[in-house]
Amino acid sequence: MKIGIYFCNCGSNIADKISSAAVAEAAGSFPEQTYFKTVDFICSEDGRLQFEESLKTELPDRVIVAACSPRDHEATFRRCLANAGLNPYLLQMVNIREQIAWVTEDPEVATAKAIRAIRGALYRVRLQQPLEKKELEVCPDALVIGAGPSGMKAAMALAEAGRSVVLVERTPMIGGLPVRFEELFPDLECAPCMLEPLMGELLHGDHAGKIELMTMSEVIEVTGFYGNFIARIRQLPRHVSLHECIGCGECAAACPAVTMNGFNNGASERKAIDFAFTGVLPNAPFLMEDVCVRSRGEECRACKDACPMGEDVVDLEQVEQIVERRIGAIILATGTGLYDASRVTGMGFGTFPDVYDALQFERLLSSTGPTAGEFLTRAGNVPSSLAIIHCVGSLDNDHKPYCSGICCQYAFKFNHLISARHPDTAITHYHRELVLPGKTAHTLFRHADRNANTSLKRYSSIDDLAVTLADDGRLQVSANGEDNVADMVVLCPAVIPAEGTGRLSALLDVGCDSSGFFRELHGRMDAAQSAIKGIYLAGSCQEPMDIQKAILQGMATAGYTLAGLQPGRTLEIEPINAEVDETRCAGCRLCISVCPYRAISFDSGHNASSVNAVLCHGCGTCVAACPAGAITGHHFTNDQIMAEIEGVLK
Amino acid sequence: MSAQSDLQGFEPKIVGFLCNWCSYAGADKAGGMQTPYPPNVQVIRVMCSGRVDPQFVLSAYEKGADGVIILACHPGDCHYKEGNCRALQRHAMLILVLDQLGVEKERCRLDYVSAGEGEKFNRVIGEVVEAVRSLGPLQLSRENIA
Repeated sequence: MKIGIYFCNCGSNIADKISSAAVAEAAGSFPEQTYFKTVDFICSEDGRLQFEESLKTELPDRVIVAACSPRDHEATFRRCLANAGLNPYLLQMVNIREQIAWVTEDPEVATAKAIRAIRGALYRVRLQQPLEKKELEVCPDALVIGAGPSGMKAAMALAEAGRSVVLVERTPMIGGLPVRFEELFPDLECAPCMLEPLMGELLHGDHAGKIELMTMSEVIEVTGFYGNFIARIRQLPRHVSLHECIGCGECAAACPAVTMNGFNNGASERKAIDFAFTGVLPNAPFLMEDVCVRSRGEECRACKDACPMGEDVVDLEQVEQIVERRIGAIILATGTGLYDASRVTGMGFGTFPDVYDALQFERLLSSTGPTAGEFLTRAGNVPSSLAIIHCVGSLDNDHKPYCSGICCQYAFKFNHLISARHPDTAITHYHRELVLPGKTAHTLFRHADRNANTSLKRYSSIDDLAVTLADDGRLQVSANGEDNVADMVVLCPAVIPAEGTGRLSALLDVGCDSSGFFRELHGRMDAAQSAIKGIYLAGSCQEPMDIQKAILQGMATAGYTLAGLQPGRTLEIEPINAEVDETRCAGCRLCISVCPYRAISFDSGHNASSVNAVLCHGCGTCVAACPAGAITGHHFTNDQIMAEIEGVLK
Repeated sequence: MSAQSDLQGFEPKIVGFLCNWCSYAGADKAGGMQTPYPPNVQVIRVMCSGRVDPQFVLSAYEKGADGVIILACHPGDCHYKEGNCRALQRHAMLILVLDQLGVEKERCRLDYVSAGEGEKFNRVIGEVVEAVRSLGPLQLSRENIA
């Protein structure tokens, strides 16, 4: 075997400490046919050309470059090998600059250490194998789960780029939580006004044809892997055709069955067939089967008969459907919910009707809400005093240890909205911390702070706080030994993952962290990716966040999808990965338990584990774990590492 | 244990298994700082400390190493999420096995060096070299391990 050793002087950086002549001499006694070349700066343009020309002339079987750190230039020199017609994985670098020349005082000692390191590389490189990147056909389309701001933004960006998107939404509507709010922090912009252009584009814009919206639907199974997922989606019957309905509401007017409207927090009524709320998009009602009189065996087709668009719009016989879609990437945009404030004792939530949580209060303030936007107690009076309790369940080890991040801002938004309409209403904020990051969040706080009718009271533990009923029947908030009456109390509960997050986590093998939110690949560098390749995290399913961040993260997930999966282009699979030898695998599945990427599955037909090269990151943890030695870590094989150990110790 | 006088001039041979992402980068950082440290550690780069098979450590002793050091990403910082936790588990087990073979635990150190911790890398190398130097050459019947 002919091995070429290329020694870079790196000017004087290496040459001052390590004698190339001594290394060349030592190489002469290595147990292989070697040739030795010294280059001044092998990474420079001249150096690379010289290196490539030499490789073309010498045609070595293996190559060693003794130079700087492989973290600097391994990729550079692999390209040189490829340019010279050699397989790039036949290269081994020896880091004689950062790890020897720069840190060893005595040149003789440095030279001896370099010789040992190069001998290790020589022993190793003899066993290195040519590796090829495999290519895989991929589907460039995406499944987006959740049609809130981040999911809509991701879907729209992908559609604009020409990708087909399946947008699955559990509820009958799009827009997520904020579309139900009238005014948003930090500048009181109207949420429907802000979101409607995006929603309109998504439903009827130039690229709407690329988006297949499935409302009242959920993903029930996903098989495959990055680039080639198959998703099965269950569509519950809406009984109203989204494509043909004109949103006139005649069906609802004719419907005889009435129930409480869950979308208005049960604070108003709706018909069995009705809109989620006024102005909802898609602008089409949905039928609640369990409320419809037909569920009790009665014959009724009042809604169908009332429809001015003909027989086909309302379909009373529609049943649940399961559909399958092929996609290359999955974007989770399932959003958040609020912690059940009744679990925080002493807050009176669920006991006293005038204690609201933040979402209920948003609906109360909404013109489409239960009081048509009037700020009124259940008894119908404008409250003369309002208490807003922050951190209900947040920053609290008995509930949720994290800060929910958005509550202070919406609490001061409430403050502003109420004091603008009812300047005489006294507002008291009970807070543990105040969290107002960024360049805009302080403005609503300043308004509140300057308002003579607003006061802020800090508490240290929610246990020091109690909402009770005073003798006169009004609410009373006791804090730090002081009692204050309040006609209404608004709680800011912890922001928690949306219902169903755990189910999706199990279904997709995407982990959740201790907070219950989806776990990201890296908190700073890859917060929009899960550990599973091709499954991305958009918006507040990753952690509590405001709309701005959710929208940005939605765009980030679209970016990952667009960059990673391109139509007509195959996916390159890095050859430094693990591979199971089926004949040696004993089927213990230890490898599956140690793989951080769920890249290994068990093939019961062959009674052996199998590594999916697309999902494997090449860490080699399974290789070290396998008791049967049945897994090969390509380019870091046991034999190669053992040989290097032998070489450096010789 | 050899008599103290025998240790004069003893230069321990140590093999260092460094994960590519944190510790190897930390060693490069130490290089960039150009502060000398003892030359006794020959570095073997692995992608993840979780790749370090206990066999590698035993093989190093068998082939003449007086000590081994495994350097990993700090807990929670593993490039591969949790490979360093596996390294930690295996190291704990290995120490027990080595104890039965009469190999002192100071000859098999696991530590954490991040890509920014050039100074720590320098210090840890100094410490492990001194620890193994004071123990003297590994007096083990090599066949016991092989």
